[in-house]
Amino acid sequence: MKDFQLGEFEEIVLLTVAILFGDAYGVTLKAEIESRLNRKVSIGALQSALRRMEEKGYLNSEFGEATAMRGGKRKRFFTVTDLGKKALAVSRDTRNQLWDAIPDVAFKIV
Amino acid sequence: MEDLNIQPPRGANRLLAFFCKTEYLEDIQGDLEEEYILKHQKGHLKALLWYYWQVIRLFRPGLTKSSKINHLIPTNGSMFRNHLIVAIRNLWKYKSGTAINIIGLSTGICAFILIALFIQDELSYDQHHVHADNTYRLTVKNIDKNGELSRHWAFASAGHAQRLKADYPEITHATRFYAWAFPDIQIGDKVFPSEQVVFADKDVFDVFTFPFILGNAESAFREIKSIVLTEQSAIRLFGNDWRNDDILGKTIQITRDATKASFVVSGVMEDMPENQHFHFEYLAPIEFLEPVFGEGMNNVTGNYNWLTYLRLQEGTDPRRIEQYKDDFFDKYVGLFENGIPAKKAYDFELQPLLSIHLNSHLEGEIESNGSLQQVYIFGTVGILLLVVACINYMNLATSHFSRRTKEVGVRKAIGAQKSSLIQQFLTESLMVNLLSFPVAIMLTWLALPYLNDFMGKQLTFNMLENGELLLGLILLLVMVAIISGSYPALFLSRINLIQALKGEAAINSNKWNFRSWLITFQYAVTIGLLFTLAVIEGQMKFIQNSDPGYRKDQILHLSMSRNIRNLDVFKNELLSHPAIHKATYASRVPTGRLADNWNSAFFNDQTAVETTFRLPFILADEDFLETFEIELVAGKNFTAAMEMSTDSVGYYLVNRAAAKALGFDDPEDIVGRKLSYGNYDDHTYKAGRILGVTEDFHFESLHSEITPMVILKGDWNMRTICMQISPGDVQSALAHVEETWTKFDPINSPEYQFMDDLFDQQYQAEERLSTMIKVFTVIAVLIGCLGLIGMVGFIIDTRYKEIGIRKVLGASVFSIISMIGQRFLILIGIGCLVALPTSYFFISGWLDGFVYHINIGLLLVILPAVATLVLTLITISYQTLKASLINPVECLKDE
Repeated sequence: MKDFQLGEFEEIVLLTVAILFGDAYGVTLKAEIESRLNRKVSIGALQSALRRMEEKGYLNSEFGEATAMRGGKRKRFFTVTDLGKKALAVSRDTRNQLWDAIPDVAFKIV
Repeated sequence: MEDLNIQPPRGANRLLAFFCKTEYLEDIQGDLEEEYILKHQKGHLKALLWYYWQVIRLFRPGLTKSSKINHLIPTNGSMFRNHLIVAIRNLWKYKSGTAINIIGLSTGICAFILIALFIQDELSYDQHHVHADNTYRLTVKNIDKNGELSRHWAFASAGHAQRLKADYPEITHATRFYAWAFPDIQIGDKVFPSEQVVFADKDVFDVFTFPFILGNAESAFREIKSIVLTEQSAIRLFGNDWRNDDILGKTIQITRDATKASFVVSGVMEDMPENQHFHFEYLAPIEFLEPVFGEGMNNVTGNYNWLTYLRLQEGTDPRRIEQYKDDFFDKYVGLFENGIPAKKAYDFELQPLLSIHLNSHLEGEIESNGSLQQVYIFGTVGILLLVVACINYMNLATSHFSRRTKEVGVRKAIGAQKSSLIQQFLTESLMVNLLSFPVAIMLTWLALPYLNDFMGKQLTFNMLENGELLLGLILLLVMVAIISGSYPALFLSRINLIQALKGEAAINSNKWNFRSWLITFQYAVTIGLLFTLAVIEGQMKFIQNSDPGYRKDQILHLSMSRNIRNLDVFKNELLSHPAIHKATYASRVPTGRLADNWNSAFFNDQTAVETTFRLPFILADEDFLETFEIELVAGKNFTAAMEMSTDSVGYYLVNRAAAKALGFDDPEDIVGRKLSYGNYDDHTYKAGRILGVTEDFHFESLHSEITPMVILKGDWNMRTICMQISPGDVQSALAHVEETWTKFDPINSPEYQFMDDLFDQQYQAEERLSTMIKVFTVIAVLIGCLGLIGMVGFIIDTRYKEIGIRKVLGASVFSIISMIGQRFLILIGIGCLVALPTSYFFISGWLDGFVYHINIGLLLVILPAVATLVLTLITISYQTLKASLINPVECLKDE
């Protein structure tokens, strides 16, 4: 279990990479997270999360084709690895277990 | 579509390439550029700042080259440590010098930050509206018969917006705002009197960006009788916990006169932000007013009560819309009754939304706007103060460091390179800056509430939320450290080794050098500010002492309520109090604006000739002249029996300026002549006689000239009642007024002001400017004096022996003082030569804003120079006197 620790932001990024399957690179990821979660994301935070998870083995990346857009610079597309998928599943399970463990009365009083 | 011509900032890219891991660089930079091009459409500067900010935030452990982090720490780490230790020791050793430095620097920085916050806020007005760039306010100009501009209104007529939008496809959205004279709101049995309900077109949410808390823009105006609240009004109507109730769909009653209607709450918006040029608390669909106003909704001439905003298609030139004016008036009005084409009498001007706050000062502005001139003045002063603070540091540091020439000599002798010495002194200046900044920030934090209170702003100093500010502060810190540290560092590292070791003075204090220029600059700024202050104060005193031509003391001004119907009874009731002598009704009173203007024709002999100049009017009763103590120079006053609304003739009083404009230099000659005045289109246009002529008085402020005007004896549209009150009994008179008011209008509470307050309010902007300049001057003088103390101390130090020898040879105390002091005299002289013409240029522009103003006399020029001289003498006197009284043995016994 300990091996699959995911931060909240990391989890969001990882899920978004999966959502944007095949088209997940810096700009689309940032836009997707900002529009879905309605919060500002700095490129710095996003990129460091991406690289960190790549190092952990949750993500794979490869360069796309160079085009005339963006000054001829290539995009780096990210995909979720099997390990990343597993990490997500574990995190989801953990949460579900926690939810299930809440007694029914706990939220009624509030 | 991407535009390949847009180049991202190269400096930022270089910075990124410097620290970012090479293998990541290409795609990250690509991502940045892709977004940059998108952002670029919203404005170059914004995109640029964003780019830099993002690059800075990419500086994170995971993304940087690991070796680069180590590079940032100087490689000669041990020397750096040594510099730090020496810096700390020296700062500690010369505590008073350090304190003077920190006080001077932090005061300057604090003033700069405050001004920067103020300017940032002034420039941010209305920026939050998504379509701000394509939104314009439609304003209408009245053109007089000579083709000249008569009045320029911030408002348009009711029929403009919809007709323009229907006729010209470039106008994609149009909305009006109409404040329907403060109706009462009722929920259940609770009544909220006089709420400002504003009616607007459906397009309002497409023109402006108003975020909704409850409901949304699409459904807000679906029903005609729906109303949108703001958070503030929701709290007022439904209490602090309105969020817990489901207030959407609740009904509120709106009552004004005979009109009663139930409105359904359809949404709650966030409160309109401070930095917006209008603030409303309720919005309701304008269609509701159509049955109320009937044909009036189609009016395209006059009746300027409808704030009108147009959103144009992307890229439309607003000038194009303005040129449709002729077609528009030809189509909807054609010729006036007097045969003049309507298009000659009106002009449109489209004001960009973003320029309204700083540039627009038209008739009837919805709120008082800022001023670009003030932004410039404050900006200039802010930069000058910062420079003065830096100069002060340079001066003090140079004098201070020159006591350490031996240290420099020793360092050089054992092989310190020039660069190492520069590094050392820069480290020290950075240290002082690092100490000053927290002090400056604390000062800012303490001073901000006062600034807010005073300027009527709600500025916040939150560095975490205000990214630009944080970035700016860091840049400022680095900049100030480098600027203020550079001169001492360069200067000291250049000293000759032998001289330094001998301990000779590094600087010949007698020589005219760069530092003298620095002090001259400081003097120039101080003198310039003192001069500006003297002129502003002079003008304010002139205003206070000038006779406006009417009485402004002990006059109570009370705004009337429409619930008070029987004016005569109300007035008599008020007058029953012994302390209330006289009372008069009027549509407008002095200190207001002469905004109402109708047509007029003057009968010189038998034929009526239309007047060619603007002749505005006010309505007043027979007690107006007596209450305000306005002198009648010819003819007679109104009598109570005259009543224009019922009689078939008009009763007119004119002022002397009007008599002159009509061709009568002697006011007696115009009395009894015939004048027709009123609105062509309704019953108000009446022939009558000029009963009397009043002395000229300043109805409007001293900013504008006394213009011709006419007083009509009227009994409608009386917006105010003014009373003369005897000085002793103000409290009981006020109580009587309130009591009487409540008897006549139990719902609204009376709103009263004293005339002299209203008079002062006309000059509020100038009053604020004057106080701000006062504060800045005090800061500049404070910084300057601190610098002087340091300078004099240094001069005396280096000429210690000289003073001793001079005394032995018989020099008097006075000659020693003048020896030290005369140098400052020269500096002040040069400072005057630089400062006076420059500030004269600025301030005469400000004075031109008044038609009635003081002339800048010799006294105003001499005063700041003398004040500076006296301040200098006082500042340096203690040290100089001490030096001149010294026993020569003391300074000559060594060696």
